[in-house]
Amino acid sequence: MDYQLDRVKIGDEIFFSSIRDVKFKNNRISVNFVLPLDWKTVSANAVVPFLLRKGYRDCPDFTKLNQRLYELYGASLDADVVKYGQYQIMSISIYGLDDRYTIDGEPALKECAHLLAGIVLNQELPDGFFDPASFEVEKQFLIDTIESEINDKRIYAINRCRGIMCEGEAIAIRKYGTKESASSLTNGDAVNAYHNLLNSAKIEVFFAGSGNPDTAKKEFERAFRPIKRNYQKADNEKIRTKADQVKEEREELDVSQGKLVMGFRTGEIQDEVQRSAMRLMVALYGGTPFSRLFTNVREKYSLCYYCAARFDRATGILMVDSGVEEKNCQKAREEILNQLDVMKRGEFTDEELESARITVQNSLNSVSDSLESLESWYLTQIMNGTDISPMQDAKSMAALTKQQIVEAANQVSLDTVYFLTGRKENSNEGNN
Amino acid sequence: MKETISSKRLGENYLRIQHKSGLTLLLCPMDGYSTAYAMFGTKYGSIDTSFKTSEEKDFITVPEGIAHYLEHKLFESEDGDAFARYAATGASANAFTSFDRTAYLFSCTDQFRESLEILLDFVTHPYFTKETVEKEQGIIGQEISMYDDNPDWRVYFNLLGALYQNNPVRIDIAGTKETIAKINAELLYKCYDTFYNLNNMVLTIAGNFDVDTVLELADKILKPSKNVTVERAPVEEPEGVFQKEVIQNLPVATPLFQLGFKGKSYNSAQNIRNQVLDEILLDIVAGECTPLYRRLYDGGFINQTFMGEVMVSRDYLAVIYSGESKDPKRVYEELCKEIKRIQAEGIDPEMFARCKKATYGRYIGMYGKVEAVSSLMMLTHFAGLDNMYELLDIVADATVEQLTQRLKEDFDTEKGALSIVSAKE
Repeated sequence: MDYQLDRVKIGDEIFFSSIRDVKFKNNRISVNFVLPLDWKTVSANAVVPFLLRKGYRDCPDFTKLNQRLYELYGASLDADVVKYGQYQIMSISIYGLDDRYTIDGEPALKECAHLLAGIVLNQELPDGFFDPASFEVEKQFLIDTIESEINDKRIYAINRCRGIMCEGEAIAIRKYGTKESASSLTNGDAVNAYHNLLNSAKIEVFFAGSGNPDTAKKEFERAFRPIKRNYQKADNEKIRTKADQVKEEREELDVSQGKLVMGFRTGEIQDEVQRSAMRLMVALYGGTPFSRLFTNVREKYSLCYYCAARFDRATGILMVDSGVEEKNCQKAREEILNQLDVMKRGEFTDEELESARITVQNSLNSVSDSLESLESWYLTQIMNGTDISPMQDAKSMAALTKQQIVEAANQVSLDTVYFLTGRKENSNEGNN
Repeated sequence: MKETISSKRLGENYLRIQHKSGLTLLLCPMDGYSTAYAMFGTKYGSIDTSFKTSEEKDFITVPEGIAHYLEHKLFESEDGDAFARYAATGASANAFTSFDRTAYLFSCTDQFRESLEILLDFVTHPYFTKETVEKEQGIIGQEISMYDDNPDWRVYFNLLGALYQNNPVRIDIAGTKETIAKINAELLYKCYDTFYNLNNMVLTIAGNFDVDTVLELADKILKPSKNVTVERAPVEEPEGVFQKEVIQNLPVATPLFQLGFKGKSYNSAQNIRNQVLDEILLDIVAGECTPLYRRLYDGGFINQTFMGEVMVSRDYLAVIYSGESKDPKRVYEELCKEIKRIQAEGIDPEMFARCKKATYGRYIGMYGKVEAVSSLMMLTHFAGLDNMYELLDIVADATVEQLTQRLKEDFDTEKGALSIVSAKE
């Protein structure tokens, strides 16, 4: 179904947005604090949602809080940090059953909204600090999380490539910061970061679900009222759009399958039409199971197990990542670039273009079936200052021409090539 | 034969249709949804390595990993692969092989008819040659390599290998590079003919679609299958575990662990029922609302990745806790101690009520998602339950007495094992 986003201001740069659809059995509410990425504050900001998740004035004990959530039909209260372009977004969300499905008609939505508002705004800070033991535990977990990035080699390799590619740019800052920045955190840093989130961040409260959004809105209007705000709009840093020369890096780790990641810049994107064209171009190039990369690099030449392209609209970065053995690395790299040249010359068929188009439309039209997808879609709209529904976006895809796709491809330039490979002592494995 | 299955609790229903071809159709149209989610599955997975049909005399044993290999090959036909055909409909298609199931699926918002036609057609028309079978060995070999590097996957299979002595659940779903080297076209046809008999399969669809379209296509495409039944060679699995502890070195920051208890296995249907009850117990023992969770969390022994799950099929049931820990042995000891304490002192009624309510909420949430509804219909059908709503009823009707019995049979600390993946010292 098509939606109309309802967005109202409930304070100085504090907004309450909602999407309602009665087909769902649940409601999801999130509070999102948006701040520019800054290496000086990134780790302090990142630890805050996890500290808030531990309790609040009405329910200061972590276990009691969790018991309350269980009694609310297993509502889940989640802390999260995400990166959107040059912004860091700290969020706390609650996901719970709608009142229609509670056994005795308990008002689960109101309770969930009340609890979330309390978590965000009604913290107990004895002597002005977070509980010291709790702070130490969450700080350590933050360090562990940063270190455990290496567990998933695919994500690790993509992040390494992005880091090399964007060195010196704000978008290179990792969402939790570094091991060093997390290790040097103090309780005072975390408290300052918390106050700064409340006073100076842009705040987006988002509701999606089958219940009445007004029930939630009232809770947040009341809760935010006493907060003194000092919001200052941050200047947007210009993100590089074109690569000057190709950076290369190779790293050895104890792995049996190598990872080849290639980072591209996508040029100046002027408007939503060009952005849609880039997205469609990337789908055709490497975003579907019948894309150019999949059918050639994987199926035709059997050079890898996976090979996919992804476009990040917030940064304009296009990433191609692939799982390849060392011996195939060079060939895979050549074929990935060769397929990009095919795109630039427009040597793809109309059928291929139509397939990519309806696949992208299919995924856009599916957004409305999940609360998480709806929230993520509309928060992206809000971040971009646009208000396009997934269905509208799907419709606009229909108008894109082959020429626009070719133009999009010609904006793409290779910036960085990163290869993660096994250590030499293991390199005979996998060559059977 | 057409039958409407309803849930009074949810005020919802779905259709069960016995098609003349032998295939069971489970169809759940859902108002307001844009997506249709369709799964065509066979009760055939990685554990089915030794079997015969009702018409055969002797059991045959096939190489490990063949069900998964067959899944890969089925996407191919004489005139190209199924992904290429889906390209024309825009559907998002996939397939998976688990321990006891193989399923081919797609989700779409438009062109449902065209996509369903592709699904029904390619799954019922196998095509393998010597060349195409050999070519797949490289691709699957790469997939196996990828899983060899995956610490989450390794820590899981190492646990199953520790818990079970003979049950094929201890073998990796994709097999090994050695076992898949033994696979050929003839063996693939043998497995296909045995398990892809429509009487052994089910089609489940949930969301935005029209029932008549499904029936029309089923009539058009599906040829009646001979009604044979498949018999799996019974597995002699001793009660005890194979080993108490297994450690593997891989580059990880914080050690990963999975610890498990080998529960009592009855049969498919009873095991699924017990799974639901055991899920409530997972929370009672070590859910976020328990003192044990708090002790471990505050001590820095577990983090937010800590979770519990129950895995079951026709001849096994295992209860598993997993996560990251600087000291997995300590987590294991504490869990065993807590389980023994609850076994001795009995289940706290307040804790029971709380965890039951949370499980109830989680199950209701599943009936609101197209992919979950499609999966639940398939799961409960293959397990031999009456219908998918039975799961919710089991939660709603759960009693302390039932859980006390399950705690005794499925959380037996004498039958526990611990698997750890950590970096080299």
